[in-house]
Amino acid sequence: MATTAATSLPTPSPLTKFFSSNPTSNPLQTLALQIQHNLTHQHAWTAIRLHTHSTITNTPLPRPLLSGLPPLRLYTHPDEQVQLLKEAEARRKAGRTKQAEKHTDAQEETDGAEPEGLDVQAEPEREWVLPTRLSERWSLKRLAEVFDAIELSPPPGAEHGADEEEGSKWRTTKRVVLATVDSDSTVVYYIVHDGVVKPRQN
Amino acid sequence: MADISVPEPFPISQIANRFLIFDVDAVTYARREHNITGVLVGTIAHMSQQNVFLGIPLELMPEEARLLVEQGHAYIADDVDVHNKGFLEMNREDRLAFLQAMDKQGMDAALNNQKKAEERSEKALQRKGLARKVQENAARRASEALESSSAATPTDAEADTSLFDSPPRSASPAISQAPNGLDPFFVTPTTSYPRLPTPPISPTTPLPHVPRTYPLFAYLHSKGYFMTPGLRFGCNYTVYPGDPLRFHSHFLATGLDWDEEFDLLDIVGGGRLGTGVKKAYMIGGADTSTNDVSDKGSGRRTEDGVRAFSIEWAGL
Repeated sequence: MATTAATSLPTPSPLTKFFSSNPTSNPLQTLALQIQHNLTHQHAWTAIRLHTHSTITNTPLPRPLLSGLPPLRLYTHPDEQVQLLKEAEARRKAGRTKQAEKHTDAQEETDGAEPEGLDVQAEPEREWVLPTRLSERWSLKRLAEVFDAIELSPPPGAEHGADEEEGSKWRTTKRVVLATVDSDSTVVYYIVHDGVVKPRQN
Repeated sequence: MADISVPEPFPISQIANRFLIFDVDAVTYARREHNITGVLVGTIAHMSQQNVFLGIPLELMPEEARLLVEQGHAYIADDVDVHNKGFLEMNREDRLAFLQAMDKQGMDAALNNQKKAEERSEKALQRKGLARKVQENAARRASEALESSSAATPTDAEADTSLFDSPPRSASPAISQAPNGLDPFFVTPTTSYPRLPTPPISPTTPLPHVPRTYPLFAYLHSKGYFMTPGLRFGCNYTVYPGDPLRFHSHFLATGLDWDEEFDLLDIVGGGRLGTGVKKAYMIGGADTSTNDVSDKGSGRRTEDGVRAFSIEWAGL
């Protein structure tokens, strides 16, 4: 019993396999890999890239960053949200009048079929992700250095065309998703804006 | 709403290292014109437990006092010194004038009180259909008043035209007896000014000592925000986009030094709490490093070198 346990180790976890398929000596890059794994498999993010050099100055970043595409829009500025809701309301009204023209005598049927909620259309945007450990201590200075080295939006992924940049009219301040991992591998995500940005009205 | 204007700079009383404004007009003016709310701390002297609705004085945070002084809207007056000098070293004529004025105020209050009591009793009598009694009472009072006033000032013919004229003042500071035998009320004045002259501006008064969060306070204030103390939310300031009576706050702000280290747990806790109450958590401070790379910083570095970061829960 004891000898079998010593000779045959359990199969490595998917995360361990992921580490060994991307060997690195930098512990911060290992941390980034862990966050990447979490984003890919628990939050269905796609097109995640690891950045070790600034996209502005091409100098090494103070610490590695990730960028990726969430499945749904992660952040909507409150002003943009107001605009999106207005557009959705206008679309719903237009749809309702069109339906009313089609079925003038089948009023109950159209009322029943109409969806109650507004159909808000917000395309997902690529986000910067800053991997950190909970045991770290940070300062304003280091946070500012991270922001100084990045652009407003991450460079688009290879699989997307230039049309991805359309929604950036509302993107006027830099933002980073602060991913903090605890020793039990729980990851929490917070959005950090560079500047005074009013909160979302959830 | 009446337009209230206060000559600037207005005095802020410094008493035991607290910064207080006693003038209602100055309180309103500071709030309307300078986005300074402060905290009302005044309560009823004998019922301090009745503290739901507090009144003047307004206590200012040291940051608020300093900001008003730095921008030239106000100045700090050492109120203890002003009162010691003003009242203990007052000359005799001023003192007599002061006591007389207090006396007059007290008599006016007493007369007013008596008048109201009579009106009340007349109304009550009329309701009971005793109008005749009312007339009798009035006649009796009129004759009494005539007697007493003619006794006090026999030559004054005007005394009987009005029942409740202010009685003539004697030059004596002693409590004067009204013609109708009324005792004046004892008045405790609520303000020391204008009895004392407005305290002088002393250039040697040091600026209020402020905590290290002051740069963030001044920065947010310059952007038009209102700040109130943040103890309720475990931060330094609760930041409102307009008057706190009209708006919910936007930020829970904590000020830090540029190189001061903080735990990421503080960010997580603040961000989570802020999002839970529909606010954002904010950390910020003055960039004290050299500003030689200002061209590179497309970041939000302002002229006073303050940088702030807003933190919200990502919802993942």
